[in-house]
Amino acid sequence: MSENEPLLEVRGLKTHYAMTEGLVRAVDGVDLRVSAGETLCVVGESGCGKSVTARSILQLVDAPGKIVDGQILFHAGEGHAATSGKKRKRDLAAALPAGVVDIAALDPKGEQIRAIRGKEIAMIFQEPMSSLSPVHTIGNQIIENILLHERMTKKEARELAIEELRNVGIPRPEQRIDAYTFQLSGGMRQRAMIAMALACRPKLLIADEPTTALDVTTQAQILELLQGLQEQLGMAIIFITHDLGVVAEIADRVSVMYLGLVVEDTDVDSIFHAPQHPYTQALLRSLPMVGKRSKQHLATIRGMVPHPYNRPRGCPFHTRCDKAIPGRCDVELPKLIQRDSRSVRCVLYDDAEIAAADGKAT
Amino acid sequence: MNGTLLDVRDLRMEFQSGGSLLGRRRKMVVGAVDGVSLSVRAGETLGLVGESGCGKTTLGRCILRAYKPTSGQLNYTREDGSTVDLATVKGAELRSYRREIRTVFQDPNSSLNPRMTVLQVIGEPLRVNGMASGSELTDRVAETLRLVGLRPEYMRRYPHAFSGGERQRIGIARALVTRPRLVIADEAVSALDVSVRSQILNLMQDLQEQLGLTYIFVSHDLSVIQHLCDRVAVMYVGQIVETAETDALFSRPRHPYTETLLAALPRPDPRLRKNERATMLRGEVPDPANPTAGCRFHPRCPYVRDDCKDGIPELAAVTPEHHARCRYAAELELRGVASLV
Repeated sequence: MSENEPLLEVRGLKTHYAMTEGLVRAVDGVDLRVSAGETLCVVGESGCGKSVTARSILQLVDAPGKIVDGQILFHAGEGHAATSGKKRKRDLAAALPAGVVDIAALDPKGEQIRAIRGKEIAMIFQEPMSSLSPVHTIGNQIIENILLHERMTKKEARELAIEELRNVGIPRPEQRIDAYTFQLSGGMRQRAMIAMALACRPKLLIADEPTTALDVTTQAQILELLQGLQEQLGMAIIFITHDLGVVAEIADRVSVMYLGLVVEDTDVDSIFHAPQHPYTQALLRSLPMVGKRSKQHLATIRGMVPHPYNRPRGCPFHTRCDKAIPGRCDVELPKLIQRDSRSVRCVLYDDAEIAAADGKAT
Repeated sequence: MNGTLLDVRDLRMEFQSGGSLLGRRRKMVVGAVDGVSLSVRAGETLGLVGESGCGKTTLGRCILRAYKPTSGQLNYTREDGSTVDLATVKGAELRSYRREIRTVFQDPNSSLNPRMTVLQVIGEPLRVNGMASGSELTDRVAETLRLVGLRPEYMRRYPHAFSGGERQRIGIARALVTRPRLVIADEAVSALDVSVRSQILNLMQDLQEQLGLTYIFVSHDLSVIQHLCDRVAVMYVGQIVETAETDALFSRPRHPYTETLLAALPRPDPRLRKNERATMLRGEVPDPANPTAGCRFHPRCPYVRDDCKDGIPELAAVTPEHHARCRYAAELELRGVASLV
């Protein structure tokens, strides 16, 4: 799967928030890559910039946030055939660009991004209660999205919406389509949001902590649903979460973020069985493991995530890292070191550094 | 050490909902806690697990007497060995127990008043209970802050100046400042990040040893429950469906619902990825306002039999330390987590 052409490549993305108290560099040089049909999990603690990265990909960053640098290359394919006949009032399909688009360069309110948003790349959010409208039926919200992107009559769109609701496992979709969000349970709301996101058959689905607010049994149902739909539709998923259990369950590849940077990027097995970055290692050690019970203390990561106004110089993790090298880690930002299909941002894996250490040893 | 600290007997908590001013809509009674019996031993950590809406928080609040239970008993053993039913005490007598049973809330961001300094937040229970004032109060707050690993110099700051983990430490300090005997931690680490969560869990273990505390640890996170708790009670729609020692519950669950919960738990190792989910839970948690007849779990149970629809099964002993509310607890071969490894 990883040999596939990339569907989306994020290169050196920087999203900054100019606050009155100072500049918050929420995303500060993120590289991501996801291929068609693949599931990429983005993991990190709160404040590491994973949600801002996701929102940047869809140009949904709220003011005063701004994408200040980097590229978001989306391989859109052929695009849609040019419109024949007269242009409709709201015909976004015609605005859909072909070939490779740099989303970062698009106008956040322009037609092109609106043609991509919801059609080519769709997003689901953590809390369906606050991201779905409470004053519209779920049917109307799904139909609105379909009508915006597809050339269909309202009747066809309604039928498609019912079909989508059935697809995500909502019982009696013919009736539920006219329900309001408050009439549905948490799991059903999340299903309705997934139905809305998938109605236009996106090539990429961005899921921002979609199961965090749900119970474990509901979470298992939703994860299974997403995996089933992914197989059926062949879409790629960027799944943002802080739960390493969920990552182990669904990911093909994993990107670990810390303070606005990707510190490690590799396949899912290596993250859990051969983690390289000290942060990834520490994170895994601090998990209580089911099965291995002991009343012993958990390993901790000392200190806390630094305040965003107060980023450490050099490697962002050096203040909490047990392997930090004074005079090096606190001075310059380590390069992203690529080896085979994995990359890690740590001087411990720098060839020059390893060679120098070997030289000293011999 | 191993005496019973709190014995909950057939506790019920009902809420009325619906109903309009003119009485045109019918009133509904929601039995959030529906006949819970449970004993908490001194010095132990009892885990209370269940999905949202199962009544675990309501049960915690009844024990705190934030709610007055509709019926049932809360037999609390005093330090001198005599017992008192907390479900019926009132006024000044009740207030004296408020020092002994304290709680830590889930979200440290919303459970601390942003307009009070840390000194005021932690000192308030002392002031209200008339336990200390003036410089004595300040001293006790400082001492408690040191206990939870915060620097007393910061006591005049406001909660916003602290990180999430530090705020949770403040929440713990507020619970401990009156020197309680029983602490109810309601999802106390659920809102925290992984690296901070392990710090708080370690702190809670240390404090238990140091101060001889008894914990009721309410959580939906089974990995945390397994790590911290001596015994576990599983709740489903207002009722306890299984209680056991932690190891027994995780290795050999006796109630199908517990098995489902364990199977649904995502485990941080891709090599354990389940190829097929054998026990996928059907349906959703039923509405407690409208519970199903018979065993509450039977519409979703993979092992359901005909007589499960008739009457609620008793919480019966499978082994002396292991109780399950299932007629077939003894015969079912349910899988725990050990068999998943």
